Amino acid sequence: MLMENPSSGGVALPTLGRRLRWVMLAMLIAFGGLVVRLWQLQVMRGDRYRERTVSNVVHQRFLPSIRGRILDRNGVALADNRAAFNLYATPKAFTPWLRGKLKRLIGLSDDELAKIDARVATAKKRKVRDPILLLEDISRDRAARVDQERYLIPELEVRNEPYRHYPQGALAAHLVGYMTQMTPDEASDLGNQGYQSDELIGRYGLETVWENYLRGKKGKELYAVDARGRRLDEATTADLISGDRVVEPVAGYSVVLTLDADLQRIAERAVAPFPAAAVVVVELNTGRVLAQVSKPAFDPNIMTGHLTTAEAKFLNDDPRKPFIDKVLRVPYPPGSTFKFVTTIAALEDGQGREDEPILCKGNYQVAGDRDPFDCTAAHGKLELIGAIQHSCNVYFWSLAERVGLDRIAEVANQYGFGTRTGLGLNGDAPGRVPTRAWYEQRGRFMIGYTINGATGQGDVEVTVMQLAMAYAALANGGTVFVPQVVDRVVRADGATVIQYQPQVKNRVDTPPEILDVWKRGTYKVVNEAGGTAFGYATSDVIPIAGKTGTAQVAAKKPKKEQRQIRGWSPSGDHAWFAGVAPAENPEVAIVVLIEHGGPGGKVAGPVAKSILEGWATKVRAHPAVPAGPLVDGPIFGRLRQLGATWQLGANAGPATANPAGDEPADAPAAPAAEPEHEP
Amino acid sequence: MSWRGSRGVGIELPRAQIGMSRWRRFRAAVDWPLVAMVIIIASLGLLNLYSAVHGTRHAGKFDQQLKWMFVGALAFVATTAIDYRSLLRVAWIGFAIAVVALVIVDVAGSNAKGSERWISIGTLGGQPSELAKLAVILVLARLVSESSGTPHWPTLAPKIFLLCVPVVLIAIQPDLGTASLMTFVMLSVGFLALRDLWPMVYTLFGMVLAVPILWESMHRYQKDRVLAFLDPTADSTGSGWHTLQSIFAVGSGKLLGKGFMSGTQNQFDFLPEHWTDFPFSVWAEEWGFVGAVVMLALFSLLIVWLLNIALRARDAAGAVVCLGVAAMTFWHVVVNVAMVLGMAPVVGVTLPFISYGGSSLLTFFIGMGLCASVSLRRHGY
Repeated sequence: MLMENPSSGGVALPTLGRRLRWVMLAMLIAFGGLVVRLWQLQVMRGDRYRERTVSNVVHQRFLPSIRGRILDRNGVALADNRAAFNLYATPKAFTPWLRGKLKRLIGLSDDELAKIDARVATAKKRKVRDPILLLEDISRDRAARVDQERYLIPELEVRNEPYRHYPQGALAAHLVGYMTQMTPDEASDLGNQGYQSDELIGRYGLETVWENYLRGKKGKELYAVDARGRRLDEATTADLISGDRVVEPVAGYSVVLTLDADLQRIAERAVAPFPAAAVVVVELNTGRVLAQVSKPAFDPNIMTGHLTTAEAKFLNDDPRKPFIDKVLRVPYPPGSTFKFVTTIAALEDGQGREDEPILCKGNYQVAGDRDPFDCTAAHGKLELIGAIQHSCNVYFWSLAERVGLDRIAEVANQYGFGTRTGLGLNGDAPGRVPTRAWYEQRGRFMIGYTINGATGQGDVEVTVMQLAMAYAALANGGTVFVPQVVDRVVRADGATVIQYQPQVKNRVDTPPEILDVWKRGTYKVVNEAGGTAFGYATSDVIPIAGKTGTAQVAAKKPKKEQRQIRGWSPSGDHAWFAGVAPAENPEVAIVVLIEHGGPGGKVAGPVAKSILEGWATKVRAHPAVPAGPLVDGPIFGRLRQLGATWQLGANAGPATANPAGDEPADAPAAPAAEPEHEP
Repeated sequence: MSWRGSRGVGIELPRAQIGMSRWRRFRAAVDWPLVAMVIIIASLGLLNLYSAVHGTRHAGKFDQQLKWMFVGALAFVATTAIDYRSLLRVAWIGFAIAVVALVIVDVAGSNAKGSERWISIGTLGGQPSELAKLAVILVLARLVSESSGTPHWPTLAPKIFLLCVPVVLIAIQPDLGTASLMTFVMLSVGFLALRDLWPMVYTLFGMVLAVPILWESMHRYQKDRVLAFLDPTADSTGSGWHTLQSIFAVGSGKLLGKGFMSGTQNQFDFLPEHWTDFPFSVWAEEWGFVGAVVMLALFSLLIVWLLNIALRARDAAGAVVCLGVAAMTFWHVVVNVAMVLGMAPVVGVTLPFISYGGSSLLTFFIGMGLCASVSLRRHGY
């Protein structure tokens, strides 16, 4: 159609014709430049940008693994998992508008809002498009309310995930422990170990120490989101995700304890009337712990993600220090329960004889000291057995003066005092066994220190667990065990992964006839008139042998800001009872400490008695479930599908796992976890 | 022969063989290659828009665009039918209307994205600045044809000054993209149509000197955009976000693209408002290097064809009209694509026939219609 212009015979705009080649050149440069740039972006760097756009869209999300359970020796779950509703949102989507909306929707408390704000602030520094846990374990009502609004507020997501649950509540709380969210420091430290910043980790007790076994391995899921962080459906994004879309999580190992939940409950009930106490019951031939009580305790269900600031303040202000394990962490003066050390030291050295009578006039004058030491009473003339029975201080003071402090310390060290028990839990304290050198280091040594040390006063400090292991050793012929709380580690399918054997800490070669003296003496303490625990720990059900202790505490003024606890004064004597049962052929050792409770026999004796009677009647009869396929409750199968197939509403209510109820018929029968009633 | 001597409205047909019907003569005279290219490019634009908005809450934009296409096609036919010389006669009136519209927008225009470019008439939103470009081109054509031979500067100077008024009005909206684009068009026409190049050289020199003053008077977000263009990674979630995501989108298309409606950057909203300013990024992501080059080739073919019409125009005014439309198309394409490729700051310059938006579509349809009209009337009888 290119026709010549017939009228002008040339170009209407002559300058254009002349400059046409410049026009063409300009166009060539401009379009050529664009094409070169396209080549650079699309062909030379195409792969890099393709990857980049995929990572724009494809995100990774962890699928929670099911944390291993903590079971007692019969398979009763002390720590378990249940389904919970967790609320998630991406920090990018969590605008003030959404915050207000959420607050109105589910009625957030100030505490919860503060928690959410802190989490969002932390997560904003990381990836703003990855959903984070806003609030864990929200109620069904709240979850339903959020779910109802999911088309209006697609930014909020409720996930149905396993959550740590302690079916027995505060039972053995210090031993089992609890979980909390990580601090920002921990989150950055543990980030490379596969933890996510919004995860809970073990914070106390076994939950902390056995974290690596319990936690299992998280799975992961790849999914695609749009620019606003909203999840896209799988069909539209199928070809973006190469490889496995989902890697299934692996459940953690469960830990089976040596603890007996029934005995634990019995022991906790026995100390229930007292504001603060500690109890340990061990198998004295193995060092396995059957019960371990530290009172006051905390409820791990509240500690695990539900602690309000008010509750935290209340617990922290308690002068009895609920968060400190009184069995392991706190060394106490052992009082007269320590007298076996003096006895053994004197008899071994030939410095004393069983039939040697010593006169007790009610006090004891040490050469070179001005004031005499007072005994509990004027006991008159006593032989060694009688002195143990009446807990006559004068007798042991005179023995101590003969053997000296260092010899007493030597025997004490043999029986495990002054060093950690080796349990490696809750800050297992070494306690203190002073020597002459120790005092000289601090000033002048005085004979009075020996006198104090002989009866477990002054600077001698032992933990409840140490004392239990020592009394076990006295009854088993001199073997000091490392206390054992974990019997074995089992896989989710029940197969045993690790089986732990009793571990000996020290073997003491105290001659059997000396141990026999102690045995006869402690029998009389409980079972013969005049014994310090006679009438208190004397039992018709099971013969008990033991020693009482009343440890004086340096008078301390209670701090003013501290709360007053009724029946508990920080300057009262500690009441001790340490013993074994049955007296003739002992199987278990027990130590009861009633903190600031008063006289040992009267206060701690009945507690020990009721615990041991409970042990004899309810616990001794049924042995622990042996290793092997155990307790694979349906909870594992159920929880495995969490997050994937569980729909909101499909599972009504939190699933409180009761393995006893769900046990298959052919599995070993687990004992019922119903509370037992004390006689 | 100047436009003054023509008879006015009405289609003048080539004097072909005797006995040919009027319709067949019309058909023979219409510039079919131009029509074909416009249809092809507009169809690609529709296709691209469909991919960009389908399945989102913006899906209605496709239907809207379809309506505007229809209106635009009618406008194309109408402007083809009308003698461009009649339009040149009323060029100053059109220009005045455009200026008034721009003043109204400046004073009371609705606020879109912080700058006032839209004027609401009923439910229709229009951008007078788009149509003002056409008015400027027509006035330019008239000025050039009036001053053929030796330009009489004392009479010409005030008119050139008047031509700068819409540029200033657009610049203070503020819409620097359109303002500079208009300047580019005027400069291009000047360079190609004036016999003596020195006045143009002086003008250019003066403008370069004015750049610092311009920078100082710019809004904060405009400076940000320019800075973001210089270093898009510096603020990759703020001002640089568009540019970076656009580069990712284009680059990820690789040689052959991700396929129609499969661009992840596009489909999942990583490019905000990609249907107006960044349609080329959608296109390049989904059709790859090959598709991108094909589209650029189509545009350059169109521009070359417009220049061809200009060369064969019957009078200088017609030639300048085509030249102006060609320059407008050229600068729109180059600036928009350069912006998409991260070679120019993010400015509101549309891609002809591809970008969503009625004003832009209408402007280009009318512009092409003007060229078709010039082409139709090239026979000097």
